[in-house]
Amino acid sequence: MAKSVRISEVGLRGIVGSGLSAEHVLDFASAFGTFLGPGAVIVGRDPRASSVMLREGVVAGLLACGREVIDLGLVSTPVMQHAICRHSAAGGISIGASHNAAEWNALKFLGARGTYLSTAEAGELLDLYHLRRFAFVDWKNIGKLRIEEDALDLYLDDLAGAFDFSALARYKIVVDCANGTSSKILRRLNDRHGFRFILINERMGAFAHEPNTSASTVALQLAPLIEPTGADAGFLFDIDSDRVAMATEKGEAVSEELMLPLLADYLLPSSPGRLVITNLSTTALVEEIAARHGATVIRVPVGRQAATDALAMYRPDEIAVAGEGTGAVMMPRFRFVYDGIASMFAVLSMMHLRGARLSEILAGYPRYSILKGQIPLLPQRIPALFAHLERRYADGRANSIDGLRVDWPEKWFHVRVSQTEPIVRVICEHRGVPPRMLFQELMDQVRQYAA
Amino acid sequence: MPREHLLKIGVSGIRGVVGPFLTPQLARAFAQAFGTYVGGGRVVVGRDTRATGPMLQHAVQCGLLAAGCEVIDVGVLPTPTIQLYTGAIGARGGLAITASHNPPEYNALKLFNASGLFFNHYERSELLDIYHQSAFREASDICAVISESSAPIRQHFDRVLAQVDVERIRARKFRVALDAVNGAGSVMTPRFLRDELGCELHAISIDPEKPFSRIAEPRPDTLGDLSKLVVEKKCDLGFAQDPDGDRLAVVDETGRVLDNDDVLAIAVDAVLARRAGTVVVNLTTSMVIDDIAAAHGATVVRTPVGEANVVEGMLASGAVIGGEGGNGGVIFPAVQYCRDSYAGMALWLDRLASKTETVSELAAALPRYFRRSATVTLEHGWLGALMQRLAAAWPGARLDRRDGIKLILDDSWIHARASNTEPILRLSVEAKTESRAEELFTRAEELVSLSVPTRAK
Repeated sequence: MAKSVRISEVGLRGIVGSGLSAEHVLDFASAFGTFLGPGAVIVGRDPRASSVMLREGVVAGLLACGREVIDLGLVSTPVMQHAICRHSAAGGISIGASHNAAEWNALKFLGARGTYLSTAEAGELLDLYHLRRFAFVDWKNIGKLRIEEDALDLYLDDLAGAFDFSALARYKIVVDCANGTSSKILRRLNDRHGFRFILINERMGAFAHEPNTSASTVALQLAPLIEPTGADAGFLFDIDSDRVAMATEKGEAVSEELMLPLLADYLLPSSPGRLVITNLSTTALVEEIAARHGATVIRVPVGRQAATDALAMYRPDEIAVAGEGTGAVMMPRFRFVYDGIASMFAVLSMMHLRGARLSEILAGYPRYSILKGQIPLLPQRIPALFAHLERRYADGRANSIDGLRVDWPEKWFHVRVSQTEPIVRVICEHRGVPPRMLFQELMDQVRQYAA
Repeated sequence: MPREHLLKIGVSGIRGVVGPFLTPQLARAFAQAFGTYVGGGRVVVGRDTRATGPMLQHAVQCGLLAAGCEVIDVGVLPTPTIQLYTGAIGARGGLAITASHNPPEYNALKLFNASGLFFNHYERSELLDIYHQSAFREASDICAVISESSAPIRQHFDRVLAQVDVERIRARKFRVALDAVNGAGSVMTPRFLRDELGCELHAISIDPEKPFSRIAEPRPDTLGDLSKLVVEKKCDLGFAQDPDGDRLAVVDETGRVLDNDDVLAIAVDAVLARRAGTVVVNLTTSMVIDDIAAAHGATVVRTPVGEANVVEGMLASGAVIGGEGGNGGVIFPAVQYCRDSYAGMALWLDRLASKTETVSELAAALPRYFRRSATVTLEHGWLGALMQRLAAAWPGARLDRRDGIKLILDDSWIHARASNTEPILRLSVEAKTESRAEELFTRAEELVSLSVPTRAK
């Protein structure tokens, strides 16, 4: 049976009803209320049915620690992060399992600037959780709950300052909301800012398909609608709207890997920053685009935690863009968080600036083919697997900060252990046709060491 | 050593000082045990106005949702209103977050079954087993929280008003003073008295956002402000509630706070005047009830102390009215089987409207008894010795041993019992004359000090 609850530096994740319990939620919220510096705490949730239960526990734990709680209701994580900065709050708890399937849920912990906790901070939070010694206040000082209804509008006002809404509103766009929080944001953009987003799967909570942002999900329902509607592009968001994927005006699903290089290409000419930060599993097209603009790519281990820690090592103005091959991109000039809505506006702005269609822009990039696979894990044999792979592929340039990545000219692979599921992930990419032989060879070798 | 009861988890539920003792974790676990026991389905949740109420309500709702319950959140409402609504909508159960008359630092959970009745002893001990085993239902389909605040009030008003002559009460335009202690009745009770019963209302402590304005228990020594208000505004009478609106105290037109047994006696009289039937009260309630019942040809059944015990006695005997004299709780089954200050207020006004006497005249017409009572901190294990001594001292007395010991003499009685909620012994005496009451009380107290190595409280 798959493990259904996971407690780590990334927070609390699990399947509600068979792993993730009300007890976990209350204890984590109490630990977070104990951990934070002084100030209010922002709470928001995604539309999963179970998020209501998590919200009750989160509010109770924080109030018991004497915190003022500002509940934004059903909002995306980027809207929450915006509210944390606006209120100068101590932090926030985002309830929702993002791209995971409907039965999952999670608590994500945000620090004072709206960014995820660093590894050191998250470690302290975990210690407090495990100790279960919470800083509950005297009955007179129990916190108060405040409901804030207009967080979304304030966030959109901020976006309107960063992008030219009047120019972008003339694009006709189809959006697959994947039954997540993006539907609320986009409807508001239609009503209040004159956009013409055509929405599908906008009812929140009932999932029409897996809420991930892969190209195959784009191809499922969104891409076939582009040509019949005569849209300029299509976008697909995950549940909490921090990731985004796209389809061209021709109805082609675009690989999720392309979002970061595309935005790097758009942002680098006008950005003072010369750094592009991404993880080891993301396409090598990033390096090729960065080279065109004389920029440098920094590769970090996969996962939100490594990215958060890496970002903290540089001044915001040194970084042009950061992100991963999943479609999660942040533009520090707008905000220091992954934001799918902002990413969509950046793509539209690029189309507007160049006066080009999306397919024309993408045609300017060479073809890269990426293959991804996964194999169930046998933890005790992992070190032997990596030792074997390193010997077997000694002719390439090896990087072992997260599993093993080996690079050759125009070709690379990355084999690593997932942090969220008990599996080994295998990824390989080639500039040109798919590297099927290398991929097969890798899968066969990993399988010998797996469960 | 006597200790402070900062937290108590037992068959009477969970109660304690909020913060380091009664934590959201405990409330969540207890609520999840409750949700497990009722097997999911709809559960009504409400609370009184304590500052810690919202925090605990979120914790309780978290536990209920996790157990697969759908939560009907009725917000701040009196306990009897929550109970009535629970029964009325066919919910699986209900929960009130209130420590009733306890000081503001305390809070507690009151638990109701599908009929809106307090859990009985067997239900409570089963719930406690689930809690201790942590064998909780963990639902994978989580239901919603639905807010509903106006329907419970309307239903409660309608149920109460159907039992009295509303037109006759409205016609009298009673001048009524109210002290709602800034509790759960703060908003609802003025509506009840002014809008429904046509009273000219003079109210204090009706701001649910403010802390309790006095000691929460409505007793003669805590109702000075209300007495003053009654006199100042020349009111016909004054009503006082406790924070969760189950208890009722009455002040006469001269500003005197009536004895709680007399408050119950007038309500009993009002009911028996309209319908025949049995009266159920606890063992410590005054003999004045027996006299009132006798005047109407009705029987009185006595039960151990505690609302749940009285309610069980009423259900078993098909009683038409009941209550606990000592604490101002009127239980009127035509409305519902719980202490209900709204039923009490309506019965009082109905009784006043049927005649022309003032409240002080009504009270003066009641048979007069003299009562003495005391609480003594109790070292566990000494009650048995005391009971033996008391029985030996009055060999002619009829003995009732269902709740401590009650010695019933011709014109008087003595009752010694251990409190259900605190480590104390309660000693009560009642007699026809003051001197007899004093004599019995002094003798009984001597026996207490002989039997129990105690410290007077």
